[in-house]
Amino acid sequence: MTETEGYVDQSVVGLEEPQPMYKALRESAPVFRAPRGAVVLTRLADIEMALKRTDVFSSNMDAVDLGNVRPLIPLQVDPPEHAKYRRVLDPLFTPREMAAREPAVTALVNEMIDGFADRGECDFHAEFAVPLPCTVFLQLLGLPLEDLAKFITWKDGVVRPEGVRAPGEHAKAAAPAAHHIYEYFEWAIDDHIANPREDVLSALIEADVEGQPLSRDELLDISFLFLIAGLDTVTDSLDCFFVYLARHPDQRRLLVEHPDILPSAVEEMLRWETPVPGVARVAVQDVEVGGCPISKGERISPLLGAANTDPAEFDHPDIVDFARNPNRHRAFGGGPHRCLGSHLARLELRVALREFHRRIPDYEIRPGVKLKYTTGLRSVEALPLTFPVATP
Amino acid sequence: MSRVSVDAERCTGHGRCYTLAPDVFDADEVGHSIVRVDEVSGELEEHARLGEQNCPEQAITLSGGTRG
Repeated sequence: MTETEGYVDQSVVGLEEPQPMYKALRESAPVFRAPRGAVVLTRLADIEMALKRTDVFSSNMDAVDLGNVRPLIPLQVDPPEHAKYRRVLDPLFTPREMAAREPAVTALVNEMIDGFADRGECDFHAEFAVPLPCTVFLQLLGLPLEDLAKFITWKDGVVRPEGVRAPGEHAKAAAPAAHHIYEYFEWAIDDHIANPREDVLSALIEADVEGQPLSRDELLDISFLFLIAGLDTVTDSLDCFFVYLARHPDQRRLLVEHPDILPSAVEEMLRWETPVPGVARVAVQDVEVGGCPISKGERISPLLGAANTDPAEFDHPDIVDFARNPNRHRAFGGGPHRCLGSHLARLELRVALREFHRRIPDYEIRPGVKLKYTTGLRSVEALPLTFPVATP
Repeated sequence: MSRVSVDAERCTGHGRCYTLAPDVFDADEVGHSIVRVDEVSGELEEHARLGEQNCPEQAITLSGGTRG
């Protein structure tokens, strides 16, 4: 078996079941120079090292190009400067802050279910997985809800722009949407300065960073990142989770009958599905990982999904166990760049699973449908579900 | 009896410990972990171990105790 067998570049082909590919790579070529450039890491120990050693593997603008004109904050800023932004941002996204949003998220989830519960079918992706995180985001930042459609277009324009055949073409294709995002937030910041209110954007405008307020550019660079990091990833997670649950009715029944298992089930589905399958870093010095020399300037791709199925950490990694303990999964990455929105994501996922299964406990993917997974982040292009209509 | 400690240099605020064992761990204002009870035994020790084993950064140490 050659080293390239078993490897499928997820930035080119969307994968319904990436776990066997992770396993093949881990076993045959755990540090693997992909045909198209990046060095792919699939062993948990190497991935953990890459995430922690920000002095060797930077998360700066050279690691990934999304059409942004300045570094996204805080993702593309490395320690030690990174810490000053996280000190301002982290308090806005703690589990405690997020818990206060639970009633609003619960109401929103139910409103969305109201939209299709009587119909006996829905496109879960378009009618739930996409609008839920986008609407939560608009509420969180205090932006007009009627801007939902625009946001979805821009987010898609940056995350998966059309007409991209090679990674090098991504930035150029994403640039027009990126321009709209900057322009929109210029307006939103002006509006929040004129009319301060209780939301995350107002909090950032008033923030004190080592005695200084955030500059206009810093506010824009944070907002831009929020939009591309916080919307698609929860959509991906919802799609992955509901496909899994539609295909595993016994597991779904566990959630319906024992909703107290939800927090732990969310962690396990995050582990197994790893909706954000990998992250991007760039070597800032010559280094060797697992016997493979990596040159300064080379991009690396730590596959979080592979870390999450590494038997060195997880007993029976191929068994999905909603009560798994311990479960030190890395679906939110790790080290200084640990996903800022992880607690918001957990809240949205838990509430969505709880309310959906309370109201629609039985569903299946419409027979005959072939799901198409998107490249990069793992969403599906459509997820047609059918279910019995509850009689009141 | 075990002694619980959190390495503030390693903790990045995953929040797993204080979610799983809120009687042993708490969050500071940025959501990083702080120890609420540093000498634990019995049930509290079990809870502390739950936090320790689920920390993705391996920032939690239980020392001086016996397993079981």
